[in-house]
Amino acid sequence: MKRYVSIIIMAALAWIRCENRVTSPGVTDTEILIGNIQDLSGPIKELGFLIPSGTNMYLDYINAQGGVHGRQIKMLIEDHGYNPQKAVVAAKKLIEKDQVFALYNVIGTSTTEAIRPILEESGVPLVAPATMSGTMSDLSRKAGHLIFHTDAGYDVQSNVLVDYILEQNANAKIGVVYQDDDYGANVLKGIAEAEERHGITIQREAYQRGATDFVGQTGNLMKGGITDVIIGGIVREPVTIMKTSQAMKYSPHFFGHAPTVDARVGLLAGDAGEGFTSCYFAYLPDSDKSGPALYRELCEKNNVPEKMRGIYHYYGFATAHILVEGLRRAEEYPTREGLINGLETLNNWESGTYPPITFNKNDHAGVEKIMLLQIQGGKQVAITGWLE
Amino acid sequence: MNDVLTGLLQESVSGIALGCIYALIAFGFTLIYRATEVVNFAQGELMMVGAYVNFFFVTQFSGVLGGVNFWVYLFAFAGSIIFAILFGILLDYIINRPLKDEPVFSVIMATISLAIILRSLTAIIAGPISLVPASPFGDNTFNIGSVVISILDISIIIWTIVLMAIFYFFFNKTRWGIAMKATSTDPEAAQLMGIPIKQVYRFVWIFAALVGVIGGVLLAPRMALLDTNISYLGLKAFPAAILGGFGSIPGAVVGGIILGIIETISMGTLSFHFEWVKEINDIIVWIVLIVVLMIRPNGLFGIAKVKRV
Repeated sequence: MKRYVSIIIMAALAWIRCENRVTSPGVTDTEILIGNIQDLSGPIKELGFLIPSGTNMYLDYINAQGGVHGRQIKMLIEDHGYNPQKAVVAAKKLIEKDQVFALYNVIGTSTTEAIRPILEESGVPLVAPATMSGTMSDLSRKAGHLIFHTDAGYDVQSNVLVDYILEQNANAKIGVVYQDDDYGANVLKGIAEAEERHGITIQREAYQRGATDFVGQTGNLMKGGITDVIIGGIVREPVTIMKTSQAMKYSPHFFGHAPTVDARVGLLAGDAGEGFTSCYFAYLPDSDKSGPALYRELCEKNNVPEKMRGIYHYYGFATAHILVEGLRRAEEYPTREGLINGLETLNNWESGTYPPITFNKNDHAGVEKIMLLQIQGGKQVAITGWLE
Repeated sequence: MNDVLTGLLQESVSGIALGCIYALIAFGFTLIYRATEVVNFAQGELMMVGAYVNFFFVTQFSGVLGGVNFWVYLFAFAGSIIFAILFGILLDYIINRPLKDEPVFSVIMATISLAIILRSLTAIIAGPISLVPASPFGDNTFNIGSVVISILDISIIIWTIVLMAIFYFFFNKTRWGIAMKATSTDPEAAQLMGIPIKQVYRFVWIFAALVGVIGGVLLAPRMALLDTNISYLGLKAFPAAILGGFGSIPGAVVGGIILGIIETISMGTLSFHFEWVKEINDIIVWIVLIVVLMIRPNGLFGIAKVKRV
């Protein structure tokens, strides 16, 4: 009798253990399914191609080493075409139909803002949204506790840039050229904070996404006697503004937010881009840190074409480190709650790709400092350490 | 006062160049609308294709001729023109002919589909990474007083004037041009008079492809990077065509130029002196359009169609 009882107890325990294993959607004994929503058909489809490509390069590297807790990480990518409504549809599909474990790297500010209600309703975490908007780490917003932001926000960048400019020249007259959308709104939030802290007024000039002409804005900066111009653009905007200024014989100091760190700015702007200073929040792909060294090694090994290498491809690679570390820190049989708790244990954690990152219950902001890089002789050179 | 005047002149020159691009796209809209009463929503995409095809030819010829020079640009331009003619013929066969007896709405839907297909195909063939177009004029500029003028902008303006003069001559002085005007006025009567309207429609699509492709060739060097998003300028040119009077060729040109100037001046001098203009910059063109249509419901050069009832 005793023998039968012990067999039944053993079987019950084994059953309970098995039950505990199937802990969360998107997780099997061999695989963890991650959802990514990119712009594959809209205005920033170039990034939608490069960023996941960098991520997959790192995930392949991790999977080749056995994955995380013996599971291979598989990433599904959906397209939102930079359209918030489509982002909602894509998020619903990934969460309800594909049953992904977590979302990762959803690109764009307005698109990520649009899926907050779905995240809140489903309890699905979002790791490293691919936007530098400071709103991502605002824990008071819907689903704030589920979003782990890695990048220094545009507002933080604006503040640091203004501080730096005034340190160099206390009498500087500063102007900002911003995109008339969510990106620009977060840039202006930081500008307004800096104005208040320093008791100054910063001249604002707007442009619409896709603009090809900056003669009006450049003329206004000139009329305003602006000595230092901060450009909240990507590539085309700083290049065109600097070339237009050069043609108009107007030569202020030019600065840019992180998206302008793209090496093509220096390449396309030529002489006009000399001295352009941009900011960045991760170790650069060509630095001697362990992350960039691995990046270069994997690029060589995988024959990544030279034109694909650069900050966007590297960005996907760098943010994937945070995702993988979060999965490692979740339990062996991971739950979404476990992933959140795991990420919140990162305390000055050195990924090798970013400066040390800290997340906890009250802080999902990731990196909050930036480094300034200047184009000197056509090459980007770091001119500061990490600025906060 | 001098500052304001210089600023306005500077912005106007830039606005005219930008407006010429809008004018070329609006002209493409007008050509097809006049002949077939169909709005070709793929006109912006024709411009995009032109920019990419010219980039392809520049790259290929510079490889053969050992670097980018005048001849490379000339051969690339000639190649793009030949492509535009063939592309126009193809569009006539795949869009116009199969749908000629279908409701106008079906043809419009076909042009919207064509726009999506062209954007996707271009992205697939050219790849997702933006291209860096070369300019035959580099960044060269010259000054008139304090106003800086880019050689590229001047070339855009000159090309638009030349094209419009050629089309003006064609429509008013040649048999085919007059046949096209007759067909657009009354296709059935034109056919009864012996005008081969099938060939006329083919010419219309070829011309629409030509102005689109030339617009793309001229616009590409003005963009630091070339990607498929330049096709969205087609949507911006649409109000230009309406402003000038949909279906009117001079209207398309004037509408495009007015729109370009308004856009540049509102971002510049007006925003500098009136803070509130910054808030309406993205809709100012539409505000002007509504005001003009309230005063002249058929646009600046449009003629009201009167029908007996």
